[in-house]
Amino acid sequence: MNGQTSRRSEVVRSVSEGQRAWGGLWVTFLLAILGFLVIYPILMLLLGALTDTNPVVEGISLSHLSVKNFVTVLANPNVAEALANTMIACGGGTLIAVVIGLLFSWIVVRTNTPFKGFIAAASILPLFAPPLVAGVAWAILGSPKTGLINTMFKWVGLDWRVDFYSMWGLVFVFGIYYAPYVYMFTASALRNMDPSLEEAAEISGASAFATLFTVTFPLIMPAIVSGMLLSFIVMLGIYGIPAVLGAPTNLAVLTTYIFKLTNWSPPLYNTAAAVAIILMVVTGLLVFLQQRVLSGRSYTTVAGKAFRPRSLDLGRWRWFTFGLGIVYLLIVVVLPSLALIVAAFRKFMFIRDAASLFDMRQYSLMHFYSIFDNPLTLRSIYNAVEVGVVTAVVGGALAFAIGYTIHRTRVTGRFWIDLISTVPVAIPGLVVGVAYLWAWIGIPGGLYGTIWILALAFIARFMPDTVKSLSTSFMQIHRELEEAAWVCGKGMLETIRTIVLPLARPGVIASMTLLFVLAIRELGSSLFLYTSNTMVMSVLLLDYYEGGNIGKTAAFSIVQTILLGVLIGGANWLSQGSAQGSVARTG
Amino acid sequence: MNRKIFARTVAIAGAAVLGLISGAFPVQAQEFGPPELIAAAKAEGKLVFYTANFAEVEQLVIKQFNKRFPEIKVEMVRAPGGQLITRVRTEAAAGKLIADVVDHSDRGLMLPMEDMFQDYTPPNAADYNPDALISKKLWPRATIAWSIAYNTELVKDPPKSWMDLTKPEYNKLTGQVFAQSGGTTWTRIMFERQVLGEDYWKKQAATRPVLYPSGAPMADSLVRGEVAMGPLLYNVIYQKKKDGAPVGIFFPPEGAPVNPYASGIPKTAANPNAAKLFLNWCLSKEGQTFMIKELGNLTSLKEPPAYPEGFDPKVVKVWYPKFEDYVKLQATWVAEWDKTFGYRQ
Repeated sequence: MNGQTSRRSEVVRSVSEGQRAWGGLWVTFLLAILGFLVIYPILMLLLGALTDTNPVVEGISLSHLSVKNFVTVLANPNVAEALANTMIACGGGTLIAVVIGLLFSWIVVRTNTPFKGFIAAASILPLFAPPLVAGVAWAILGSPKTGLINTMFKWVGLDWRVDFYSMWGLVFVFGIYYAPYVYMFTASALRNMDPSLEEAAEISGASAFATLFTVTFPLIMPAIVSGMLLSFIVMLGIYGIPAVLGAPTNLAVLTTYIFKLTNWSPPLYNTAAAVAIILMVVTGLLVFLQQRVLSGRSYTTVAGKAFRPRSLDLGRWRWFTFGLGIVYLLIVVVLPSLALIVAAFRKFMFIRDAASLFDMRQYSLMHFYSIFDNPLTLRSIYNAVEVGVVTAVVGGALAFAIGYTIHRTRVTGRFWIDLISTVPVAIPGLVVGVAYLWAWIGIPGGLYGTIWILALAFIARFMPDTVKSLSTSFMQIHRELEEAAWVCGKGMLETIRTIVLPLARPGVIASMTLLFVLAIRELGSSLFLYTSNTMVMSVLLLDYYEGGNIGKTAAFSIVQTILLGVLIGGANWLSQGSAQGSVARTG
Repeated sequence: MNRKIFARTVAIAGAAVLGLISGAFPVQAQEFGPPELIAAAKAEGKLVFYTANFAEVEQLVIKQFNKRFPEIKVEMVRAPGGQLITRVRTEAAAGKLIADVVDHSDRGLMLPMEDMFQDYTPPNAADYNPDALISKKLWPRATIAWSIAYNTELVKDPPKSWMDLTKPEYNKLTGQVFAQSGGTTWTRIMFERQVLGEDYWKKQAATRPVLYPSGAPMADSLVRGEVAMGPLLYNVIYQKKKDGAPVGIFFPPEGAPVNPYASGIPKTAANPNAAKLFLNWCLSKEGQTFMIKELGNLTSLKEPPAYPEGFDPKVVKVWYPKFEDYVKLQATWVAEWDKTFGYRQ
């Protein structure tokens, strides 16, 4: 008996030792990848911030390190002002984004509002618009002098005026454009949530409203906080919107300040790197705050029991929620789209009054002819889609591996994987682009000048977005489901394939879709890594904008939006079918 | 690999011999280089062109070049000035510079990199104005000039000179590209101070102009009516006028500041013959005429083959910056300009 026990414990010990060895090997492998993708470029960025040289041109030397760039930046009152503006714009924008994103995810997933699919589509549409295009669209609409909104107010005899070239204009546009981040996170969480908890609250006498704020929202807190944090951090790194809306009134934020540094003649990359490091510190503090808020609590809502998604009967109020959806669609999608359509089809954008706006002689297809006459257009579309697909597939797989390791295993070193994979979120693309160039150009094997170097940069840059988005899915799957599979004799890989992956599928598809969209739109990292054969759409779009062609910019952004819409629509169609459907198929 | 080189050599030699025998190279083509260069360039069949100019504008140039030499594919990389310099220096240091031609608007940034470029002289080198040359390796492929533009729908009493832009009645109506944006703007503010007077900036700043990061968004704002007038590079606003936008453009009588580009062929060019042929064509009378008429450029040729619309050489005085001043004064004067205009750094 004792012999049997000792033999069993030997077997257990050897199995656990084997697992530990594999675990160690796996963590080393992931850390090596993260080291190449994240740590190495950041060290290059740090080196740039601590010197006055280009590490590739002058060589890597630690003999002239100084904090001069940081002192220069921190002593500059304009940097403090840009930082304050950044915090106000991003903070205000995040509040609006959370309200909109949460409201619409609840309307779509948990109520019997009519035409929910339509509202769901509307809720993520702003995600398709590159920030530069969003800025241009709202400049066309909200300029105090020439804005279409003011033109229409004048036309109908109203003495109202809007001015989007202001802080509140920036906050509003940030809020409406980054609400989809919150929506995607919270909708996914609500869809995967067992409604029995809410039913229990209501049986206990809580009203639907009280249940919403005491049960539903607190339970999806990881998704809310993640969406909130992500939208805030993404706003921190956005250049296009503040560049267009802030420039006329000299309203500077950190990204526009950094862009100036990199664009000046001569360019000041080392100073820009110092500003970027400061931005990283601010973001790091925010991530730390998020960890503190979510630590030590359980949010599991997907367990081994089957459930049907719950739909709240709103009665007559469902038309009110439908009305909200229509108003949102009108403000966020229809108006800017109309502005872009006007700009894309109008020969030039001087609009004296409403009569001139409706004068059809002023419209033509000339901008579309012009962009498709340019051989770079089709090439950039092909390249962008290729980079987007590679980024989504490889980046999605890597994010899944990282997310699973962080949230579903207890291997030593997963804290570091979590930390390192979060770091890139803090670095503005305009600066990280040059860090990737410094880091990777010397790598033998012909990586530079290929689609792969762009894809690697995007994977690294957006790793936090995808890992955080997947983490929400992982945090909701109870361990008992995997344990049940292990009890049935399935190994880890088989358990991931048959249990975790099907349950997390909506989250995985959503993350890959997000990655694809971000890759298509990404500009900052592309600027230094593209070559004549690998030009992507975002670079060409910037070129049209920098060329002062608002018509061609609008026409090309419409092409890009349609392309993204078709591709994302396809991805959504692929991901249809809820978690339990997947379980039914694999169970 | 060796077989490829051998085949290419045979092709070049064959093409050259055939060309010489059959007289396939018309006399006009001689201005673009000797027959063996053209044959070698065609054998290379492509070149990579790095430019700080706008891609769209350069696409038109490439298209025109291809009408003359359809066998040579031009692959372009376009980046803003500062970014292009960083890219070139970094690629060169890593031994991965893929550019066969580098074309930049800021000669002050290009000159320190002179050693990176190979010796190159276009066939019509003697026809070029020495003021536009900073090195025997770098040539003024493009030469662009400043003008004043205004929105004809908004401005019924347009300015007629640089000094008019300082009139109090134009308060809050003008736009300006800020000084740090690059070599072209630096040329303009240098002209303003050296030609229009020490206090010109102050007078101009008193009208509280809207400041723009580059001429293109300002040109777009001018067409839309966000600003009513201001100094703009002629080639930026000319295209819009051609498309029918409500803009008027003129070259002020006090002078038109001119910024020649610096273009050269790196020593590492993989397609040096195609690069030479491309630059030869761009710098030739044919290439310069095309850029003047279609893009609104000027030229650094001593005898301009044409003038852009609205440019009367009897009236307009072109102004080239002294290159020594261009390099020496930049940092101090740009800082002073920022202070005068309240532009926050």
